[in-house]
Amino acid sequence: MAIVNLQDVTYKYPLTEEPAIRNIHLQVEEGEFVAIVGPNGAGKSTLCYTLSGFIPHFFKGELNGTVEIAGVETQKSSLDEWVLNVGLAFQNPFNQISGSKFTVYEEIAFGLENIGVPRGEMKARVEAAMAMTAISDLADRSPYSLSGGQQQRVALTSILVMEPKVLVLDEPTSQMDPIGTREVFQVIKEMSARGMTVILVEHKIEWIAEFADRVIALHNGEILLEGTPGEVLTSPLLPERGFGISRYTSVARTASGQGLWPGDRRLPITLQEAVDGFARDRK
Amino acid sequence: MKDKLTFYIERESSLHRVNPLTKLVMVFAFIILAFFGPGFWLPSLLVVLGIIPLSFLGRVQREYFRTAGRLLLPVVGFLFLMQSVFHPDVGDSRVLLQVWVLNVTVEGVRFAYLTASRIFVMVSAFILFLLTTHPSELMSDLTRRGLSGTFAYVITATLQIIPQMQAKASTIIDAQRSRGLDTDGSFRKRVGALLPLTGPLVFGSLVEVEERAIAIEARAFTSKLEKTSLREIPDTKLDKAARWFFLLLIVLAFGSKLWPS
Ligand SMILES: Nc1ncnc2c1ncn2[C@@H]1O[C@H](COP(=O)(O)OP(=O)(O)OP(=O)(O)O)[C@@H](O)[C@H]1O
Ligand SMILES: [Mg+2]
Repeated sequence: MAIVNLQDVTYKYPLTEEPAIRNIHLQVEEGEFVAIVGPNGAGKSTLCYTLSGFIPHFFKGELNGTVEIAGVETQKSSLDEWVLNVGLAFQNPFNQISGSKFTVYEEIAFGLENIGVPRGEMKARVEAAMAMTAISDLADRSPYSLSGGQQQRVALTSILVMEPKVLVLDEPTSQMDPIGTREVFQVIKEMSARGMTVILVEHKIEWIAEFADRVIALHNGEILLEGTPGEVLTSPLLPERGFGISRYTSVARTASGQGLWPGDRRLPITLQEAVDGFARDRK
Repeated sequence: MKDKLTFYIERESSLHRVNPLTKLVMVFAFIILAFFGPGFWLPSLLVVLGIIPLSFLGRVQREYFRTAGRLLLPVVGFLFLMQSVFHPDVGDSRVLLQVWVLNVTVEGVRFAYLTASRIFVMVSAFILFLLTTHPSELMSDLTRRGLSGTFAYVITATLQIIPQMQAKASTIIDAQRSRGLDTDGSFRKRVGALLPLTGPLVFGSLVEVEERAIAIEARAFTSKLEKTSLREIPDTKLDKAARWFFLLLIVLAFGSKLWPS
């Protein structure tokens, strides 16, 4: 059975006319890695808040349809219970720091203190989580003194230590430089490899191509396309509807128009695929 | 950026091992004794026989003397001078010297010394407290005793506003600089250049509040489960006895004020 199950979900923010997401049907299997793409205002963050329970428990407004995770329905649960199943991390690492802790170690323990984990177990979990995300050497630093990539890894670790069943990530690398992005993806990859269910909103198409099992293209609050990264990310519909696409895809599409890329070959997404594809014709 | 956000000095000492609430009560006992207790020399005695030996007990004497010397002495010294000079001369006390049109009297100097020594006790007791007590430990201890978690959060978060602002300001400055804003140069130019920073700093804070709220909720801040604490906080029988002792001192100090012998 799917661990995430959305049936015909429509949501309107308070005081707005148009729903931010509408008629969303989404099933995610345990351990699956689903990426969500979409232009600005498509409703990606709204979907993340819906999955993580902040809609309807934090943002009021009007939610229709059913949102179910691990067999429990949001409307019938409370936020403090819901967050134990679904972890949420988002763009700005700075705003995800609790703001009341003095060291990274304490920062990561914050969530466990809140749910009353005994001290011995707390320490073991904090240390294991830090080892997993490779930030053990930051333990005694102040969360404020870290680089963006480090802060984001601390934010992720702070969520992971709670051992959620599903991880929802809303553009976690959008404020990172390439090094920070790589660091954060390393963690996401590790989590996915350990069997965590991951739902990731991301603009960096090439990373998605590498990791995702499935991609969902969101447009105007609706699911426009859904399928494997290869199918969705190279669809001609995306550039028409204002989605960002990989530069390698767009180069190959232009090349294809001039007969330089065979029409029956799938367009590339990553640099490597482009290089391989173009090199094949040189022979 | 400065990595240290607290005064706290991590060190193994008997004073560090005292329960935070006990230390807090002790600090208040010092302050109340200094302000309400009997005798002109009491505040000075509290420093010499109380606070300074305690700083050795806590093995933070160097840090204590440094902070007290750099921060407190100049302020208290200045206060002493001002009070001595400006204390009204009502004519019933010997004039020590004249400064311009003002008379410095024995009474004035005594009054100034007493005020200065009281303030010295108050601030240095707090310095000693902060040097040997981790703020998280204090808050966890108070939460355990029934202080609301939200209140404790607000307090510790407030302690961090300055480093937060610093970190954010430096990000904004970098961003503005990369767009060609000149933040170096003459003082006037610098002030002018810093004005555009206030917008993002203040507006950013409003947007941030919502995200921060979401972030701490995502970590079960409002959970109804009983909270635990990462730090182990000692609270021995001796602590309890000490708290009663200090409370008694506080009562006696007030008493001495109400019933002058
Ligand atoms: N708190 C809110 N109140 C009212 N409307 C909102 C709120 N947040 C978002 N919206 C609206 O909902 C729609 C979807 O916004 P959402 O933030 O989910 O988009 P997004 O896909 O995450 O965009 P971006 O790429 O900019 O992050 C937009 O039209 C937006 O203006
Ligand atoms: Mg968004």
